[in-house]
Amino acid sequence: MDWLEQELKNTLARKDPPPDFAGRVLRGAGRRVPSSVWRHSRWLAAAAAVVVITGGAAAWREHRGLVAKEQVMLAFRIAAVKINHIQAHIQEAAR
Amino acid sequence: MTALRPLALLAAAAAVLSAQQLKFNLDYLAAKATDSVDLSLNGATLQFAARFLSSKDADESKVKKMIASLDGIYIRTFEFKDAGAWSPADLEGVRQQLRGAEWSRIVGVKSGQEGENAEIYVRSENKKINGVAILVSGPKELTIVNIVGPVDLDSLASLGGHLGIPKVEITKPK
Repeated sequence: MDWLEQELKNTLARKDPPPDFAGRVLRGAGRRVPSSVWRHSRWLAAAAAVVVITGGAAAWREHRGLVAKEQVMLAFRIAAVKINHIQAHIQEAAR
Repeated sequence: MTALRPLALLAAAAAVLSAQQLKFNLDYLAAKATDSVDLSLNGATLQFAARFLSSKDADESKVKKMIASLDGIYIRTFEFKDAGAWSPADLEGVRQQLRGAEWSRIVGVKSGQEGENAEIYVRSENKKINGVAILVSGPKELTIVNIVGPVDLDSLASLGGHLGIPKVEITKPK
């Protein structure tokens, strides 16, 4: 067994927990979250929800605006194409 | 509240119909068409869209100015694969409305070769133009445009060369 093996064996060797370990874990699990922390986290959650909702609404509004803009541009494109087409016919007939 | 919902819907529908000067229900043609466009943009939608049109972009700024005074744009276009997919009777309902005293036809073009018809009507009230209707029909095409509000046809035509529309040079007769 070389030194490295020995080191690994020592490091990975099973060690028993300190005597009060189980008691400390159980006490920690049973400890109640202080009410101020709970209150703050509720406010944080509410604030996060407001940010998400506001951001979502703004993004949706932006999306609707861009769709409306594209529809308006398409409408003008169609109308202008038709008027130009009619003008071309008139010009042709005038020749 | 639920009892009021139908009334609210009726009121909304009435508002839409009152803004639109021409009523055209040609939905049944969409099934036969290879391409169709249905645009119903009321005044509120136009003003909302105007906020998203850039004043710095030449094309968008032109359109923005034009829609500022408009109350609506309603368009139906159909393109068909074969001729005869639509009949003149489909247009009769629209033409009948355009026979009203407030409408006058300012342009009518008939192309015998291509079998195309194109007409422009203007609607006036108190000697002021408050609407335009454009009807273009061909064997494989049908387009109805109703622009509600004070329309400047020259401005509309001047969009040729913009928005990806080829410019048509109009030479005035000497």
